[in-house]
Amino acid sequence: MKLIWKLLRRHISVGQLAGFFIANLVGVVIILCGIQIYLDIEPTLSGKDGLIGNDYIIVSKPIKQLGSLMGKNTAQFSEEEIADIAAQPFAESVGAFKASQYGVYARLNTGSKSVSTDMFFESVPDRYIDVDVEQWAFDPESQTIPIIVPRNYLNLYNFGFAQAQGLPQLSEGILESISFDITLYGNYRREQFKGRVAGFSNRLNTILVPMSFMEWANDRYATGQADITSRLIVEVANPADESINAYLQQKGYDVENNSSDNSKIGFLLKLIVSIIVAIGAIISILAIYILTLSIYLLLQKNTEKLENLVLLGYTPRRVAAPYIILTASLNVVILAISIVIVYVVRGVYTARIATALADIADGGIAFTAVAGIIITAAIIAFNSFVIQRKINVISRKK
Amino acid sequence: MKYITLNDVVPEIFAQREDLRSDIWHSSTVFEKGRTYLVEAASGQGKSSLCSYLYGQRGDYRGTILFDDDDISRFGTEDWSRIRRSHLSILFQEMRLFPELTAMENVRIKNQITRTQSRETIERWFDALGIADKRNTPVAKMSYGQQQRVALIRALCQPFDFLLLDEPISHLDERNGDIMRDIILSEARRLGAGIIATSIGRHLNMEYDKVLSL
Repeated sequence: MKLIWKLLRRHISVGQLAGFFIANLVGVVIILCGIQIYLDIEPTLSGKDGLIGNDYIIVSKPIKQLGSLMGKNTAQFSEEEIADIAAQPFAESVGAFKASQYGVYARLNTGSKSVSTDMFFESVPDRYIDVDVEQWAFDPESQTIPIIVPRNYLNLYNFGFAQAQGLPQLSEGILESISFDITLYGNYRREQFKGRVAGFSNRLNTILVPMSFMEWANDRYATGQADITSRLIVEVANPADESINAYLQQKGYDVENNSSDNSKIGFLLKLIVSIIVAIGAIISILAIYILTLSIYLLLQKNTEKLENLVLLGYTPRRVAAPYIILTASLNVVILAISIVIVYVVRGVYTARIATALADIADGGIAFTAVAGIIITAAIIAFNSFVIQRKINVISRKK
Repeated sequence: MKYITLNDVVPEIFAQREDLRSDIWHSSTVFEKGRTYLVEAASGQGKSSLCSYLYGQRGDYRGTILFDDDDISRFGTEDWSRIRRSHLSILFQEMRLFPELTAMENVRIKNQITRTQSRETIERWFDALGIADKRNTPVAKMSYGQQQRVALIRALCQPFDFLLLDEPISHLDERNGDIMRDIILSEARRLGAGIIATSIGRHLNMEYDKVLSL
């Protein structure tokens, strides 16, 4: 191999290979950074929160001022209205939100200071919530209530309230690991519970507790008001279905869908990332073109030597090996440097945007690295194919 | 491989010629392993073409060439690589050495894929052919006669059933020609191989089993 290399390295243009190296490095870095940025930011925009899928919409009625001043609940859904929604072709199932009919008072101790507030609970049927069954169960004996909190509330606390009041900022992890005191009162009772955060939701703007707890507590603390259903959760086959909007507009219902703004931003993000990746791909393709031309030139200049090696009994594959190893090594080095650069760049931008976007996805760069390996393997396969084909042509009988 | 058979073979450029008088072209010839042949020809009779056809470099002929019972026009590149490593060796008229490699490197680049000759044997041949002091000289700086001897050593660095010698002593004096003959004959005998030598005038000074005129 050493002798072959000594023979075949002649006419290798360091300038051309360096040109390819730099250009392809730039291309691959741009592609991989685009993929990484997309992977990091997309989950925070698409509103996928793992607790509740994208295939749900939350429907409510607008509050009518007159009616509400008269103490009448105008935003209530009647049984018929619920049945009508359930009968629509787009609806797979409909669930009603159940509201607490008792007082809730929560208190969170953070070292020396404590925060306390009046609040409320709501429930949806458990099957709409994608949390471990064990996590999402209430047992009156344990006195612990699992709760799903909107991520917005945590952001309000961290970026508004805590900074103003000199309270510590809380990460999601910390909040999930501590419990807080909850007092339930009504129906001449007042009892203490522990609250435990079971998860955070981007899409449900309410404080959720398990349905089993809600029924138990309404039974125990409520003073006999009737159940009021003012919000519905509707499972739909296809959220993009036009007939959904048409139906809701006709009925005058509101859709609580904070993911629609995000989906616009998500679309822009996809567009921008696609452009970035396309630019990277163009640079890489041009770089590969340079390399291919350079290798063609090299093989052309070394044609006589290659012919003679084949006449000595070397197989075309063996003759091609040094060139294939050379280009493969270049590409592997490019990949390694690219991954390091992506890692560094990611460190810089995550630090910058960590405060703007509370929860940057913590997927690491494994996926991007795999994408890089696939791209590199494709480039190597293409180069090898081109080299081998050219050498086969040279080796062929005249 | 025991036989090389040529049936009605003729180079395509000679196909229209009526005046060909040849023991090989348009005739039937069998070369047998273990025997020695001299193919004599005037310049331009297709002597080097014959070597190119037999060595699988060119295919611009009519008729059929068989190695034993196999038509060589059906061989692929991999088949030829195998044949050129272990069945058929050639000393090219134009030598085809690598000018930027030294004499010894030119020999080793062949021997390293066939792993046939020991270092001692190769050294002994360098000595016998009077080019021991040129071992580490780039071939580009050697005379034609010296290059011809390097090319011979390289041709012997593989097992073979037939050895093609295309004007092997065109650049050698009589003494070196005789040394070359002795080495070739002893190696061919050892392997039981056949020798097909071509010549346009001077030829290796030895007994040939058959002399053919092209």
